[in-house]
Amino acid sequence: MASGLIGRLVGTKPSRLTTAARLIPARWTSTGAEAETKASSGGGRESKLKNFQIYRWNPDNPGKPELQNYQIDLKDCGPMVLDALIKIKNEMDPSLTFRRSCREGICGSCAMNIDGCNGLACLTKIQDGASETTITPLPHMFVIKDLVVDMTNFYNQYKSIEPWLKRKTPPSVPGKEILQSKKDRAKLDGMYECILCACCSTSCPSYWWNPESYLGPAALLHANRWISDSRDEYTKERLEAIDDEFKLYRCHTILNCARACPKGLNPGKQITHIKQLQR
Amino acid sequence: MGASKLSGMQKQVLSLYRGFLRAARSKPIEDRKRIEMIVSTEFRHNSKEVDRKNFQYIEYLLRLGTKQLDQLKSPDIISLSSVKVVASKT
Repeated sequence: MASGLIGRLVGTKPSRLTTAARLIPARWTSTGAEAETKASSGGGRESKLKNFQIYRWNPDNPGKPELQNYQIDLKDCGPMVLDALIKIKNEMDPSLTFRRSCREGICGSCAMNIDGCNGLACLTKIQDGASETTITPLPHMFVIKDLVVDMTNFYNQYKSIEPWLKRKTPPSVPGKEILQSKKDRAKLDGMYECILCACCSTSCPSYWWNPESYLGPAALLHANRWISDSRDEYTKERLEAIDDEFKLYRCHTILNCARACPKGLNPGKQITHIKQLQR
Repeated sequence: MGASKLSGMQKQVLSLYRGFLRAARSKPIEDRKRIEMIVSTEFRHNSKEVDRKNFQYIEYLLRLGTKQLDQLKSPDIISLSSVKVVASKT
């Protein structure tokens, strides 16, 4: 198989490849280490430079927040924005501060605003081309440092909807699970996958203007998740708790939330479901 | 002391300071003195060092202080202590 690959490489534009590159069966998605060996062995590789404008603000040296420019060679970097950020932090500026954990889009830590759209840095590919990429923290959130924002209000709103199972009657078989049919479990699809990254809530203009009183798409999605759960017996109380001019009805179906969600969920649809139940 | 009419932000700072002193009152006596000392030095230092117009930084400090005050109010917390660190300007 390797020889087949080499055969194809030699056939296409042999003048552009150095002898060393031809000898190595090429994987064009390069990791940092591989790229270094290639670069050192074959000197003819062109570098694809891209500029990143990143929001910087340091509370220890407080001044005005600024966009700082960093140049990255995309050939030496992984495909995602998070790879670029880590490369900048490792090689160029160790003081760049951002949250990250799983690097696979499941933890929700690296949520930030990339080129105007909220998303997870570990799932957003770096846009090819010469244009600059602007990275700023989640909009209309208080900034603690650089790209790290204060999420306490967001988490408190999630806590306020009481996101746990509440029952009035003990389970039918004591000590065992409360059973649920497949159809009832299917009702939770599209809501249980939420990772609380805050991309949706921070993209909602209604949430920008009323962050303390409006619960926001993420909290309301979770509220609907517990309202729709067949095992939960406090449905009426849950609906009454959010049946409020500000908590629920600040939603004007702008639907920026569905656009921003990195997991492809639709919080707007779930909010409409709650509104229908409220009648 | 200050202007005759205090701005909203100045009132917030003062109410935060008062909150700290009230929280200190609920702690044992020697810890109370230490808390009052730390809080008053911090506030006085910032009032001199921080530019009055640097709203973003002042709001940041207010939020930080409110979080610390909420922690201090909890009955499990008995005292504050502080360590002097010389920040290197690198």
